[in-house]
Order: sequence, then structure tokens, then C-alpha cells
Amino acid sequence: MQRIFQIDGEETECWLGHDGSRFVLNTPDGSVACELNPTALPGGYTLRAKGVVRELRLAVGPDATFVHMNGRTHEIRRIDPDERLAGRDKGASDDRLVAPMPGVVVSVAVKPGDTVAEGQPLLVIESMKLETTLTAPRDGVVAEMPFAEGDSFRLKDILAQLAPEEE
Amino acid sequence: MTISKLLVANRGEIAARVLRTAKARGLATAVLRHESEQEGPAHLIADEIVTIEGPTPVAAYLDIPQIVEAAKKIGADAVHPGYGFLSENAAFVAALEKAGVTFVGPTSEVIALMGDKVRARGFVEERGFPVAPSAIEDDDPASFVERARTVGYPLLIKPSAGGGGKGMRIVREDSTLETEIETARREGIRYFGDGRLFVERYIERPRHIEVQVMGDGQGNVVHFWERECSIQRRFQKIIEETPSPALTPEQRDEICETAAGIARAVKYRGAGTVEFIYAQDGAFYFLEMNTRLQVEHPVTELVTGFDLVAEQLRIAAGEGLSATQANIPQTGHSIELRICAEDATADFRPSIGDILLLDEPSGPGVRVDSGILDGGKVTTDFDPMLSKLIVHGRDRVEAIARARQAVQNYVVLGVTTNTGYLDAILAHPDFAAGNVSTGFLAEQSETLTAPGEDISELLMAAAALSDERLVGDVMQIPEMYRKMGGWRN
Amino acid sequence: MRRIESLIDTNAADYKANYAAMSERLKEFHARQHAARFERPQRDIDRLARQNKLGVRERLKLLLDPGTPFLEFSTLAACREYDGTVPGAAVVTGIGIVQGREVAIHANDASVKGGAWYPHTVKKVVRLLDVALENRLPVVHICDSAGGFLPLQHGVFPDRYLGGRVFRNQVKLSQANIPQIAVVGGHCTAGGAYVPTLSDYNIIIEGTGAIFLGGPPLVKAATGEEVGVQELGGAVMHTSVSGTGDYRAATEQHAFSLAREIVSQWKRTPKTIIETAAFEEPYYDPKELYGIIPKDRKTQFDMREVLARIVDGSRFHEYQPDYGTTMVCGFAHIWGYKVGILANNGVLFNDSSLKAAHFMQLCNQNRTPLVFFQNITGYMVGREYEERGIAKDGAKMLMAQGGSVVPKFTVIANASYGAGNYGMCGRAWDARTLFMWPQAEIGVMGADQAANTMADVKIRQLQREGKELTEEEIAAIREPVLEKYKRDVEAYTSTSELWDDGILDPADTRNALGMSISASLNAPIEEPHYGIFRL
Repeated sequence: MQRIFQIDGEETECWLGHDGSRFVLNTPDGSVACELNPTALPGGYTLRAKGVVRELRLAVGPDATFVHMNGRTHEIRRIDPDERLAGRDKGASDDRLVAPMPGVVVSVAVKPGDTVAEGQPLLVIESMKLETTLTAPRDGVVAEMPFAEGDSFRLKDILAQLAPEEE
Repeated sequence: MTISKLLVANRGEIAARVLRTAKARGLATAVLRHESEQEGPAHLIADEIVTIEGPTPVAAYLDIPQIVEAAKKIGADAVHPGYGFLSENAAFVAALEKAGVTFVGPTSEVIALMGDKVRARGFVEERGFPVAPSAIEDDDPASFVERARTVGYPLLIKPSAGGGGKGMRIVREDSTLETEIETARREGIRYFGDGRLFVERYIERPRHIEVQVMGDGQGNVVHFWERECSIQRRFQKIIEETPSPALTPEQRDEICETAAGIARAVKYRGAGTVEFIYAQDGAFYFLEMNTRLQVEHPVTELVTGFDLVAEQLRIAAGEGLSATQANIPQTGHSIELRICAEDATADFRPSIGDILLLDEPSGPGVRVDSGILDGGKVTTDFDPMLSKLIVHGRDRVEAIARARQAVQNYVVLGVTTNTGYLDAILAHPDFAAGNVSTGFLAEQSETLTAPGEDISELLMAAAALSDERLVGDVMQIPEMYRKMGGWRN
Repeated sequence: MRRIESLIDTNAADYKANYAAMSERLKEFHARQHAARFERPQRDIDRLARQNKLGVRERLKLLLDPGTPFLEFSTLAACREYDGTVPGAAVVTGIGIVQGREVAIHANDASVKGGAWYPHTVKKVVRLLDVALENRLPVVHICDSAGGFLPLQHGVFPDRYLGGRVFRNQVKLSQANIPQIAVVGGHCTAGGAYVPTLSDYNIIIEGTGAIFLGGPPLVKAATGEEVGVQELGGAVMHTSVSGTGDYRAATEQHAFSLAREIVSQWKRTPKTIIETAAFEEPYYDPKELYGIIPKDRKTQFDMREVLARIVDGSRFHEYQPDYGTTMVCGFAHIWGYKVGILANNGVLFNDSSLKAAHFMQLCNQNRTPLVFFQNITGYMVGREYEERGIAKDGAKMLMAQGGSVVPKFTVIANASYGAGNYGMCGRAWDARTLFMWPQAEIGVMGADQAANTMADVKIRQLQREGKELTEEEIAAIREPVLEKYKRDVEAYTSTSELWDDGILDPADTRNALGMSISASLNAPIEEPHYGIFRL
């Protein structure tokens, strides 16, 4: 029900409601009762809102809506706040790489103090006859690499630790 | 030397425009299409489409052997190059000549001469036509800086091999001359692989005026009057008109005759354009000659009533000029607007996207040469110009009014275009007064991109109500709850 | 249906006096509700901010569909307990709309005693889960609780309808295929750990949410192990190691966005279909109820005037208008839903009881929900009525009412005394929701009557002991009894004790009923069946 609309780089958080007879767009500045009815033209609509009636042409793209009104074309980017929030999951990643099962370190690619990027290989382990490359869970600096090549480790041992993120 | 089958070695609006005339003249027609290219209007007109390959679409359109081979393969006896790409490439013309295919345009020699700015300038100057005071490095590299000083300030440094405004530098003070020369040289090397330079007097607030000429290759040349192209952003024209509001009838005759004279001097064949810098004091200087059809040729067509492509094809087929100078009129006023996929509020950054809705204007005095189709895609593979809107009116006031109405009704949705910006230019009092120079857009950039009345709530309402997912989410709320709204007990 | 012709004169002096009195009452009521919802000591607000947690009202805002109603239950629960220091019993419950569907919400209010469970907290949560079970409403738990309030553990823990009942109801909900989701936005310790773990889905907010059977201090005391909150039961551990948590959320906003997404994916089962009509606002202004309800409780008023300000279009099809006239029965629509209404216009006689019983059977037969508007002082007493079998006829009414399979809803509009409360679907009779108006009273009898009865007992005892009592002495006995009784029958006492689902501004009754009816239709309606009617 919520959308963030971006016009000329400026974002506005809105939600759309419907009181049973008409739609109401709620913005931080207030509520606007509005109505949009198609006309005979392709993409043609009549918009009624804020006491005015406007003929417009409109096309809905995947991320933006394009409106041609009063001789001007406008782009309104649409952002689903839920999708924006979902992108923040990454912030929830851990600083540690914990051994998923016991095994042996095959090779170590970084040392403490190295700057690493998310997804960069840190070390390769062998467990259950399978080699697995363990990668950095986020961008950061390596704090500890407790195991050297050839070392064996137990379940849940910490195989790599990143320095805590500064807020 | 009759022509029966024409290959248009181009794309977009110009390909469509050339094909229309070719078809009307009864020619068999073919056009190129890169394998990754969207279908455009030209592909709907041409009898035949030749697929070309290349690492990038532009590279394919510049691939001389492939295109010559294509022409031979389909049995085309003539190639029209449009503008851009290979239209001014002497090697291409030579390759076609060698393959026995007629090139719709001048000879390779003329192209080579006019393509070299320094040589062209020398050629024109030697024959007594006006050129701005200048100094050419190649004449004597050792004395270049000294000679540059004698041109006088302000002066403009240009790369000899350049174009499109790249590597040009304005110098206003003698103290910076030498460092600016070195900077320009580095840029020349970077952009064109050629560090040679020349300098010329920089004309303050100049206007860009050009003249359409047409020659039969035998020394007969007529002109089709001037075009004013001072409305430029980043040295590229976006609005052109004819007649120029700056010229008196005497000046008009003088500048047009000068252009025709230059074309006669090279026994020019086909359509060409002689470009001049026009100073505020009425003086004008030769800038360069474009040996091809120009983007803005339609304004000339609308005031003269001639089909310039038809003239090109006649000349290429050896039929000669259809007109004498006396029967080329200049009736009414015509303006062209280049509709580009770019964001005028963000330094004209090219925009891309899918064309979700296209509705082009029409009506009396309105012509659209379009290179796009509804449902098409705008990519960064090619120039951001999508189409041209050309209007004709009895006078300049009527032409501006028609242009404004047409551009306001030009609906291209899905990709950011400059239609609003073009309208803002047309609405500007200085434009209405004809009081412009090539610096006009840069000087007025804030006025022209100023936000209009705040209609964001209307826009958001339209965006919200047309968002099916959003409306669906709202309407899944049972009606009773929607009516109750945010009630709390 | 025909519109009720109102005979109310809004310019009359008594109307205006009533209006003024009710407005005064409502001013107090709304102020108390506002305080219970929003007014907190600064240190509690600061503590939440320090813990980087949102308040429960902000959480609800993130959860609920914007622009939709929330029917909050028992806002003033515990208002007469714990010296009023546990507003709302430290928990918010109600029915709200998430992704277009009705859900029951149970949300700890950590701004009150850290969201600790007091006896009334447990009672309120159990009631909410009962509502969910009866109406087959999905449940969203928002967990943020310090755990049971230990000094009162005997009132929280052991009995059948105390703490264990919360989890028992969760199990029963799950067994009945009614989905639940828990958003863990604070600690869920000990028993509280079972709220998210018995939910089908749970989300733990990183940094603030934690689940453990014993918190760090208890672990240290029990085993000597020193362990931090996050390692012991934080979001990362539970979602990646123990599997106790399903989703971890980076922020509160993220958590509720996820919760909404999960709710939207639950299977939507079609609601029970009953007769409906297009909506129509009441023809008469609901605010006129303020002038209709007499300022003196003993003053009689016509319930039809009340109905005219609650039902759709003020339209009412009255059943047996000329028989048993102290019992008004008939059909109306509320928010489009057709309902059978029983409303008191006086004491219940034999004929009015029989009429009510018959009417309820009609409604059951037609799957028409029942709405009771109580203003009842009881069944008629006296030799004549006993001889006519008033107890037998009352039993018929109870049998029909208690045996009803259709959803029932009760509004205690004024008096609710004695067996009349039973006949008119009082708390014990499984009304899906039961609300009181602020001036209403509930008790075995009216205050004066009760005080007199109790004083009389004492006076007779003293007289038997040979004491002669002066008027003053009698008054001295009677007055304290009367004062205490008056307080005990007040709506605030009822709502404090959760004998109702909340006090309503009369003008809100229509919406509260509309939401209650709509929610009830998530559950099927059985075939009608009854016990034995004493004929």
C-alpha cells in the first residue's frame, strides 16, 4: 500500500487508500482524493485531483511511470519500501566464519590486516572429501586467521574473523 | 548510370527518410540492420534488409568492406550514406567506386579535401572567400606560437583532425596561450590520435549560419538558402531554422552566393552544406563544408518545396540539377527540433529505456522524421537523437507557435527526452526575438531547466492510480475497512 | 426494510442534559484511554530509545495496513489494579488488517514494566487467543517482555486460564490450522520463549530480539556459565545455529515488512457467507446517542432510538412488534451484514422471554448473527410470574441463546443486572466480542437494591441481637456498602477485570460491531442444534 515516489530526484513517501468510493493518496503534506479514468487514446487518462481535471498520457515501466501532461513529460520513479528494506539484509551478516563441519585447511588466501571485499575467497577447507572455498561475508578488514595450511579444525571453530564494522 | 536499386548505408530516421523518396522514385530499396539492433521505421519501408555484423553496432556501420560487399551481394547499383557513419569517408567512396557502385554524394577527392579542415580552409582562403584570421601549425611548426599571437585574442585552439567540439580551447589572455596549446595537443592526441593544431580568431557570441548547396559535378551549383543553427548544446545543434532571423536580404544573398561559389570552386557534386561563423557585426567566415546531406535538411525542404534526397538521387543518376537558382523559392519559415533521448537537467546525459508509448504529432505544417517505433528500445549503441520534428509556418511567429504546440504534443514515454527543454527554448523571449548565439543554451541553462509549477502531487496520484500492484493491494482490503479508514476505538 | 421514525427532539432539555452528561463522561473516558495508550514516565520512554526499540504503537503502525481500522480490546484492562501502574496490563491486543486480512494481534508493551506479564496481562492475552480460536483469526505476536512478574507469580502461572493457557491456545490454534507469526523485538525469556517457538513463523530483530529459556543471569546462577545475550539467544545464533528463529531482520522496519510479506502469503480461506446488503450509513447521527442515553441510569429509554443510530440506514424490521414488548427483536444490517437484534425495553416477562427464544431460533435457522443490546434489570419476579413459569421461560431463552450456533455480539448499553445478563449473552455466554458503554453497570442487581439488601442483612442481625438502630446508624451501615458496590458495578471495574473487551464510546459501536461480525465470519457456522427446552 506504500510507495516512495521520486520526481526530479526528490523522494516522497506515500500510501494509497480507498474510502469505498474514491482513492486517496496520502503524502506527508496531506491527503489527496484522486481518480484516474481511461480515455479513448492509447495510454490516455483523465486525472481528477486537487480540484483540477487533467488530460494526460501515461505509461507504466518496470521502475518508473511516465506521464505526459500539459505538454511536458515527467518521470516518476516508483520504489516499493519493502523492497528497499529487503536490500538491507546484508547489514545483518556476521563477522566470523565458523566451520560448518570438521576438516583440514587446504590453503589460506589472506592474512590479518588485509582489506577484503564481500565474496572474496579467504581460505579453502576440505571436509568430507569436498573442498570448499570460504568467502568474506562483507567488505572489511581481516582481524584473525587462526588456522594455517594443513591445520585441522573442529566443528564450529572460527576459521576467519573480520574486524568489527565501525558505525 | 541509371540507378535501379539503392542501398541505404545508414539507420534511424535518415534511413527511413531516404528510403521514402527512393521508393517514391520507383527504386528497389535495401537498408542495413545490425544483428542486435531494434526494428526501426526504415526496416518497415525497405524492400530488403541486409544484416551486418560487428563487435558493436557502430563498428558494423563503419565496416567498409562489409558494406561494399553487402551492396554487391544484393545487386545494389547505388549507395546512399545518409549522414554520419561513412557519409564523409573518402575511403568508402573510393571502395564503392572501385566496386562499380554509385555513391550518392561527391567524389572521394572532394570529400578528402573538405574533410581536412586545414586544407579546406586553405583552399577557400586562397580563392578569396572569407575565413577568420588563423594560424596553422603545419605551415611552420616552429613559428606556430608566434603566428597564433598575431591572430589576436580571444582565439580558439582546435585540433586539425578534430570535430564535434572535442579538444577546442578558448584563450583570452596571452599568458595562458602556451599552456592551453599543450593541453589542446594532448587532447587531440587522446581523441584523434593526432596532435596537430590550428588557431583562429574566436568570435564572441557568434551565430552559426550555413547554406545548402547542390551541384551537378560539372561546375553548376545552386544554393537552397541558409539555415540558422545557433541553438546548440555541447557544440551540437538541437534547433535549426530557415530563414535566419539575423540576416538582411543583402547579407542573405551574399552569404548564399559565397557558399555557392565555394561549391563551384570544387565542382561540387550532390548535396553539401557550407557552414559559416556569423559575427554580431555582420561579418561571416567560412567554417567548414559538410559533403553530405545534413540532419537539418528538412527545414530547407519545407521553405523551398524541393525534396533534397530526390535531387541527390537525380544527380547521382546523372540527370543533373532539376532547378535553376531563380526557381528556388524561400517561402514562409521552418523550424526543426531534434528530439533526443537525454536529460537536459543532468548535463544532457543520454538516457535509455523502452519506448512504452509513442504518439507523434501531426497536422498542418507539421512533419516528423522519426527513427523510432512504439515498443522500441533506446540504447546507448547509437546517437541519442530519436527523431526530428519539423514545422512550417507562414512566418516565424506562426512557425514557433506550431513548433511549440507540436513538441508539447510529442508523446514519447519510457525514456527521458528533451521535448520539455525544446519547448522551454521556443518559449524564451530571446529566442522569439531571434537574439541568440551559439552560446545561448549555455548562458540560459538555468532559465531553461528551471522547474515549472509544482505538480508533484498530481504526478504521484497518476503514478499511484496506474500502479496495478499498489491498487491491487489497496483493493484487496475489504470495502468495509477501506470505508472505516484509520478508525480507532 | 423500513426506517425507524425517531421521536427524539434534539432541542429538548432532557436530551441536552443527557448529551452534556455523556460528553463529560466521554471526555474522561477518552482521556483515560489516551493515558493508558500513550502516557508513560520519561524514564521508560528513554529506556526504549536507549535499547534502540520502537514503542508498541509504532510497531503496530508498521504492521497494519495504512488507512485501516484497528479494533483494540481492553485498553483499560488493569486500570483499577496495581495502583494503576500497569496501563493496558502491559499488552496491546486487538483485531487489525494486514495485507487486507483480519489478524488478531498480541503485542507486549515494553514501555510498561518492561512488558512483564502481570495476572491481568495473562488474562488479556488468553482472551485474545480465545478470540483468535473462536473466529479462526491468524495471530501476530509482537514479543518484547521481561517475563512473568515474579512477586505476583501465583496470579500469572498456575491456574487453568493463566500463563500455560497462552501456550495451550497457541497449540490449539496451530492444531486448527490457524497460522501464527511472532516478531521478536525484545527478550522472550522462559515461558515467553514458547510464544515465538510455537508460532509457525518467527522473525528476530537483530540486536534487540532474543529467545532463551534462561537469560544470562539465570544461566550464571544455575551453571556458572558466563554468556552474552546475543550468543545465548540472539538473532544470528537462532537463525543460523539453533533453527529456533526463522528470519532475522536488520531493523524493526525490516521485521514488519517481512511479517507483512509472510502474512500475505498465507492461504486465504473463503469467509462464511451470510446475508448482506449494500452499506448505508445510519440515517440518524450516531452522536445523538449521547442525548438519548439518560444521565440517570434508572430512566427508561427506547432501544429503537439507539438502534436507529447504529444500524445501516436506521432501517429495522421488527419481529412481533406488539408481543412481549419489553423485548425488542428484529432484523437490521450493520456494515451490510444482516443481523438479528435483541434489545431490552424493560424487564423480561414470560412473553418477552419466549419471544426472544423464538427469535433466536429463527436467526440460527437462517445463519443470522445475533447482536444483543443490554439494558436489563432482570427477569420479572413475584407470585404471578413464578406461577406462569418465569424461571421455565427464562430457561428456554437461555437454552436458545446458549445453544445458538451463530456468532453473538453483546453491547452492554446501560444496565446488566442478574440473570438478565445471562439471557442477554453476558460474558459467560461466549459472545465473540462484548463491549460496555461508559455509564453502563454490571452486577447481580442495581446498586441501591444491593446495598439495601446487604445492609438489611446486617441490620436484621443487629436487631436480632436486640439493638435498636437510629436512622443515622442505619445510614452508617448502608452508605459504605453502597459506595463500594457502586464502584464494583462500574464499567471501569468491569473493563479493569476483563469482564468485557473494552469500553466503547457509543458512537464507535457501529464500527466495533462491523469489525467483530466481519472477523467472526472467518469461522464456519455449524448446523443449528439445541439442548432440551423446558416446555
